[in-house]
This record gives sequence, C-alpha cells and structure tokens, in this order.
Amino acid sequence: MGVLYDERHYGYSLVRVLSESGSISLKEGTIYPILARLDRDGLVRSEWVESDQGPPRKYYALTSSGRQLFDALSQELDVLVSLVQRKWKAPEQSENSRKKLVVRKG
Amino acid sequence: MNNYPEVVAKIANDYLERVKSQLRLVPAHEQGEFLREIESHLYESYQQMPGEDDVARILAVLRNFGEPAEVVADRLPGAMVRSGTRRNLPLYIMGGILIALFGLPLGSAGFGVLVGLLAALAGILVAYFAVAGSFLLVGTVTMLLGLIRIILPQLFDRLVALGYIQLGGPVGEFLDHFSAGYQGILIILFASLFAGAGWGMLWVGKYMLRGLRFLFSLSFDWMRRFAQGARRKLRRDNREAPQLSKASFVKQ
Repeated sequence: MGVLYDERHYGYSLVRVLSESGSISLKEGTIYPILARLDRDGLVRSEWVESDQGPPRKYYALTSSGRQLFDALSQELDVLVSLVQRKWKAPEQSENSRKKLVVRKG
Repeated sequence: MNNYPEVVAKIANDYLERVKSQLRLVPAHEQGEFLREIESHLYESYQQMPGEDDVARILAVLRNFGEPAEVVADRLPGAMVRSGTRRNLPLYIMGGILIALFGLPLGSAGFGVLVGLLAALAGILVAYFAVAGSFLLVGTVTMLLGLIRIILPQLFDRLVALGYIQLGGPVGEFLDHFSAGYQGILIILFASLFAGAGWGMLWVGKYMLRGLRFLFSLSFDWMRRFAQGARRKLRRDNREAPQLSKASFVKQ
C-alpha cells in the first residue's frame, strides 16, 4: 500500500519496486490475490491500460479510503515500534526492601 | 500481442491452464481478468529475464511467479479455507458433499435448492432442540415428584387423589409393591433417564449447531461474492476497459 500511495503501479512494476528496494521477498504471483482483495475492499482502484510493449497492464492506485487506512496503520505501527524499542526500567527499590532475609536455626 | 517462441508459448499456456483449473470455483469474469493479468505479468517478466535459452527463461519466470495453488489461494471463498480446521464432524462432511454437488457458482435453481436445504436443516435443528428441551423438562419435573414422594408422601397422595398425578395401569400396580420411599427413588431414577437423554441431546446439538452455522456462513460467503461480482460487472460496464481476446501466445 505504501508503494501505491504516491503513484500507480501494475503488478509487475509493483513486484520490481518491492524486490529492488529489498524490503520484501515474495513469490511474484502472490501479489495479485492481495491486490484483488484490496480492490474488493475498495482500498485500491484498478484500470486496464494498453501497452505498446505487449499485453495491456492493469494499473492500481490507492483510493482515498486506502490512504486513510494506510495512514492509520502507519501510526499504529509507529506506536508499536516505539513501545518495543523503549527500554523499560524497573522501579528503584528502597534500602529496606533490599535487606537480606536471615533465617536463624533453632 | 505476445511474441513468444512456440515452445515458450506452450509452457506459458500450460501454466495458465493450471491456474485456471485452480480457479474453477471463481466466477468466470473474475477468472478471465485474473488470467489476463497473469498473462501480462509473465510476458513482461519473460522479456526482462536475461539469458539465451528461451525455455530456461520462461521456466525461471514461472519459478519466480510461484505455484498456481499459491497464486490463487486467496481467491477461494473464505469459508472453504476455514473449513479445513473442522472437518471431522458429519455435518461438515455433509457441507463438503453439498459443495461438491452444487459448486459455488450456483444457478438460480441451485440457489433455490440451497436455500431450501438450509431452511429444512434449520427446521430439523429447531425441532431437535425442542425435543431435547422437552426431555429435560419432563425429567426435571418427574424428579421433583420423586422427591415429593420421598419427603412429603401425604402431599403426593393428595395430588394423586386430586388427579394432578395419574399413575394408573401397570405403572401404578408396579409401584404399589414398594414403600413410598422406594417409589420416590424409582421415580427419580426414571426421571434421571429422561433428563440424561435431554442433556445428551443438547450436547450433541451443540455440534450440529456448529455444523449448521458453518453451512450458513458458507452460503452467505457465496452470496456476498456473487453480489460483489455483480456490482463489479456493473462498474466495469461503465468503464472503457480494453476488450481482450483469448490469450494467444503464439508468435504472429
């Protein structure tokens, strides 16, 4: 969705962008079911465009609801990442609580 | 138009046929669009693939693209995928048989049959639960009467005299052989059989209910996809999509 945020892509070009950026490794064919689901959910719109290099290409672009969802997901991810990266410190313990427990026999 | 060498065209067409066979449950127009998209991808990927050996190039393209089953996995109805985890119960098996008989792209006749079957199954299940509830109610009330016979035998006799409890015939004669306490115990034992049967039926009914819920979700899933397909078709009619002929990979 991030790749489609600013510009439209067709399946092959989308795969190229994803693989060249090294961000994700995937079987190329698996991108189409994902695109179809996004299309079905109204998050992307698609249109066929004739190509002079071969068969027509189906271009995808994010819809306004797709952009909204992507923004919301990005924010949630940022919060999640910041929580994971945060170094949680244990609260300071008082001197009394650190005293060793001495058990005397008999 | 694609310009594949003939042997490459055969390999690519064979792959598309395999994808198509995996898509047999998907509506025809979605199949066509999906296949055209894959065809376009394969062609472009083939053109960009380096190498001298044509066959090796197309095989590398197909390897990168993935197996047909992986490619179409998400195109199958959700209920079909979900059914994989709950296949051990008879109603799920029956659901599978229904799918095998009618398939998902049902015609209007099949649609009517499906709705009728679902309604009949729902009716049977309602009747089943009514019987189970009756067994449980009869068992509980009879158990209560047994307790009354043990704790308050005079009250029990009075209820019999007033006609609220009718224990005539062979049952009454049989019970007359025992004291009031034993009669109460026998009545409670008899009642526990009914109550146990009622509980058992409710327990089994829980699984039947799940099976019916599965069948309903399967049907609603299909109806939703059907409605989405119809909407998409209407939208497509309004657009100027290029009209493509059947895929032809042979060099022109």
